[in-house]
Amino acid sequence: MEVVVSSYSMIRVDRYYEASLTELGLAAAKSIFENLKEKVEPDVVLIANSYSEKTANQVLLSSKIARALGFASPSFRVESGDSSGGASIYAAYKMIKSGSVKTVLIIGAEKLSDFPSSYLNEILLQNMEEEYESRVGILPQSYSALRMKIYMKKYGVDYDYFVNWPYLMHKYGSENPYAYLKFQVDKDAVKNSQLISEPLRLFDTAARADGAAAVLLASEDVAKKIGDSDVKVKDVSSSSGHLEMDGIPSLRGAFAKMGRPKFDYLEVHDSYSIQAALILEELGFTRGKSLEEIESVPVNFSGGLKSRGYPGGATGIYQLIEAAMQLSGEFPGRRAQGVEKALVVSTDDLGYSSFLTYLSR
Amino acid sequence: MRKVKIFPPQVWRNKETMYRLIAAKCTSCGNVMFPARDVCNKCGSTKVTKVRLSGKGTLISYTVNYQSLPGMEKVQPSYIGLIKLDEGIEIVAPLTDVDENLREGARVEATIRRIRADSTNGLIEYGVKFRLVENEPNR
Ligand SMILES: [Zn+2]
Repeated sequence: MEVVVSSYSMIRVDRYYEASLTELGLAAAKSIFENLKEKVEPDVVLIANSYSEKTANQVLLSSKIARALGFASPSFRVESGDSSGGASIYAAYKMIKSGSVKTVLIIGAEKLSDFPSSYLNEILLQNMEEEYESRVGILPQSYSALRMKIYMKKYGVDYDYFVNWPYLMHKYGSENPYAYLKFQVDKDAVKNSQLISEPLRLFDTAARADGAAAVLLASEDVAKKIGDSDVKVKDVSSSSGHLEMDGIPSLRGAFAKMGRPKFDYLEVHDSYSIQAALILEELGFTRGKSLEEIESVPVNFSGGLKSRGYPGGATGIYQLIEAAMQLSGEFPGRRAQGVEKALVVSTDDLGYSSFLTYLSR
Repeated sequence: MRKVKIFPPQVWRNKETMYRLIAAKCTSCGNVMFPARDVCNKCGSTKVTKVRLSGKGTLISYTVNYQSLPGMEKVQPSYIGLIKLDEGIEIVAPLTDVDENLREGARVEATIRRIRADSTNGLIEYGVKFRLVENEPNR
């Protein structure tokens, strides 16, 4: 039984001071049901969200959102940091494959714009290990800065090597109507941007903001009745792994389990430019040269986390929709030609967990 | 400014990690874990004993961090090091008392420093940071 990306909907990543976290989630879910041929109550509702306790003082989010949509469906919040989106897709796919569930509605929602950077950092600090790192204030940005320095030394590249990534992402994102930072940047603007944790600069990080995206996954038989989508989730894979300074073991593991499939479109979790390089290298790009090779395969025509934006646990749902739209030829921004197989890489901020979704037409 | 709240039980139960650098060592494969854990994260063995780290190590790399956190605004910018401890494990930790001599390969040692203070009752949380060792040749 195939798993079909039956319907989807997303709102532009932005600052929504006027909307609550619940309202954002509902806004994304609403248009899904307007587009279906038949009324559907999903068998399961999943909410992909990482930070609701600290950003909205909310728990029990999944039940609240399901009830607000008029559903009595069982509902769960999936929390796996910034990889919550990928994690929820993994769970939904496995549920449908089990045969006991036919439809899963996934809503990714996150709210990260309400706060000054110091409090946002406190939110992000929750990603770090409890007893030591987070108590002494080691931020993921500093980890990424160290990874960047180690990479520069190991491969003999300088800061300029990384500039190509944000430059390209903003170029792509400037064509995406759903992008948060929908503008191009020149390379000097990247090089002269604010220092975050030396050598890491503002444009080497990603633009955290508010966002919500929803997708309805359905078994093939139900999908045929309620819509016309022919984009399928062919496989999912995931691993957990320790942090390596010069690689991402969780992604290495997940990609190996999937059998290292061929793809002609990629959406990756570029929380940092160095993260993009490490992800691409785990997927087979040349170590120390990946950011020079990115024009060989279409990657992140959405603009990625840097330009489309980085709505925490909702990010993976945006990625899934963007890749599905590349496959169906409906993406409203830059389009890749003749895409048959797309791979979506959803990780948490530093890559302790990786979730892969493999899509085809 | 955002209020910082320190909860004494969280600080108290962390005392072996923060004040004594207690780690765990696997008796099957020799893997060292800091903070200490009861199960080896390399081989899965549950035969694990506690060891006290020497607190000495070598600076592999470092970054100057300009991001602030509530209650820690006073130490800005902060220096963060990737340190290879003499027991063989790598940790990422704050550096303190940093002067212009900071360089990769430098010898460092653990020291106890103030981390943050409670905004209301003045309770202070201390923890391990690392400083350069004087008069010790590089390895
Ligand atoms: Zn062991």
